[in-house]
Amino acid sequence: MSLARPTFMTFGAAGFVPLVVSLVFALVMLLPIGSGIANVTMPNLVMISVFYWLSHRPLLMPYGACALLGLFMDLWLDVPLGLNMLMLILTRLFVLNQLKHYRGRSRLVHWAVFAMMSFGLYAFAWLVISAVERSVWSVQPLAVQWLVTAFSYAPVGFLLGRIRRSLSK
Amino acid sequence: MGLTPLRLRDRRGMRGREAFWFYIILAGALLILDMTGSRIPREIRAYANDLAAPVLNLLDRPVRAIQAGLERVAGVSDIYLENETLRDENGRLRQWREAALQLSRENERLRQMLKVPGREVPPAATARVIGIGGGAFERSILINAGAKDGVLRDQPVVDDSGVVGRAIQVGHWTSRVLLVTDLNSRIPVRLERSGIVGIAEGQNETLLRLRFLPKEADVKVGDRVLTSGQGGIFPPDLPVGKVVSIDGEFIMLEPLGMLGKLDYVRVMAYVPVPAEDKSLLESQDGGRR
Repeated sequence: MSLARPTFMTFGAAGFVPLVVSLVFALVMLLPIGSGIANVTMPNLVMISVFYWLSHRPLLMPYGACALLGLFMDLWLDVPLGLNMLMLILTRLFVLNQLKHYRGRSRLVHWAVFAMMSFGLYAFAWLVISAVERSVWSVQPLAVQWLVTAFSYAPVGFLLGRIRRSLSK
Repeated sequence: MGLTPLRLRDRRGMRGREAFWFYIILAGALLILDMTGSRIPREIRAYANDLAAPVLNLLDRPVRAIQAGLERVAGVSDIYLENETLRDENGRLRQWREAALQLSRENERLRQMLKVPGREVPPAATARVIGIGGGAFERSILINAGAKDGVLRDQPVVDDSGVVGRAIQVGHWTSRVLLVTDLNSRIPVRLERSGIVGIAEGQNETLLRLRFLPKEADVKVGDRVLTSGQGGIFPPDLPVGKVVSIDGEFIMLEPLGMLGKLDYVRVMAYVPVPAEDKSLLESQDGGRR
C-alpha cells in the first residue's frame, strides 16, 4: 500500500518545499519586472528550481509535480498548453539519467550541465512552438532567454542551496 | 510477502516509466487541443489568471516599492536638468493646449452643423498591470480588470501615449492583454501624413513591422502611424507607432504606447461591429485567440 503513496509525502511538510518554492518562482516570473513589457528577459526560474531539486533531492520532485508546475506555467504565462509541462518532464528524465555522471561534482559542473540541458530544451521548445503556430519562429527571443536563464543558475542555485540547508537542519 | 529492495526498485522504476509516459501523452494531448483552436484552453486560462491575481497583487507591492525607491535614488542627480526641461516643455504645451482647445471647439461646431456623430470612445475600465506573460514566446500583460468591470474580449487597450494591445482573455477579476509587439498582433493602420493604409505587425521584439503598403508609398522616418479603424477591433486615429527605420520592404515602427513602463492602462468600450457580424469576424481570425 505504501508504494501507491508519492514518496515526497513521506517527508512531511518539508517534502512539499521544492514544489512550493517552484510554484512561488512561477508567480515571480509573472511579476511586471520582466520580458513582457520591459523587454528585459526574465530567467526561467522554475526550470532552474526543478533542475536544482532534482539534482539534490530527486524524490521530492516526482513527474506529477513537474507536470503540475508546467501546467500552471502554461496557464499563467499564456504559452501553448502542454509546452512547459513537456519541458519540465523532460528535465526530470534528463536529470535522472545523467545524475550519476555529475552527482557530488562542483557547482561549476552543475552549472555547465544545466546550461547544456536548458539549451536542448529551448531548442526543443522552438521546434514545438513553430509546429503549433505553423510558422518558423524567430530564434532570438529564445536564445536571449536561454542565456539569461543559464547565467541566472548560479545566484538562484545559491538561494535554493540556502533553503535546502535550512531544511536539513 | 515482503518486497526485496530489488523488487521495490523494479516496481518503482516501472511506476516512474508509466508516470513519464502518462504525463508526456497528457502534455501532447493538451498541445493538440491548443493547436485545434479549441475554446476550452482559453476559458481555463482566463480563470487561472483570476487564481493568481491575489498573490500577484501581494507580491507586486514590495517590487513596486523597491522600483520606486531605486527610481528616486537614480533621479536625484538629474533633478535639476529635468526641472529645466519640464519648464520649457510646460511653456510649449500651454501654447499647444490653447490651439487644441480652439480646434476642438471649431471641430465640435462643424460636427453639429454637418450632423456627424462624435467619435469619442468611453473607457470600459482603468486597470493596473499586475503581471506579464509569455517569456520568450509571447508579449502579453495581465491587468486587474475583468468581466465584473465591464471588460469584453477584443476590446482595445491604450495608455496615455497610444495603443498598447487588446484584451484576449477575460476572467472575473483579471484580463490578459495581447501587446502590439506580440507575433500574433496585427493592427490595420494608416500613415498620419499621407493617409496610406497598411498593417502594423508585432515581431516578439521591441519594434513593429509596417507591411502591405503600396509599392510607391511615401514613407519617411519620423512619420506617425495611427489606427485606420478597419478590422473592427480598434477605433480610428489612435496613435500606434512612429517610423524609425526604412530598409527596402522592412519599415520598422517604434510603438508609441509606453510598453516598457506600463503601470496603468485604459480598456476602451469600443464595439464597432454589430453583434451578428462578430461571428464572421471570429471565423476570419481563424480562432487563434
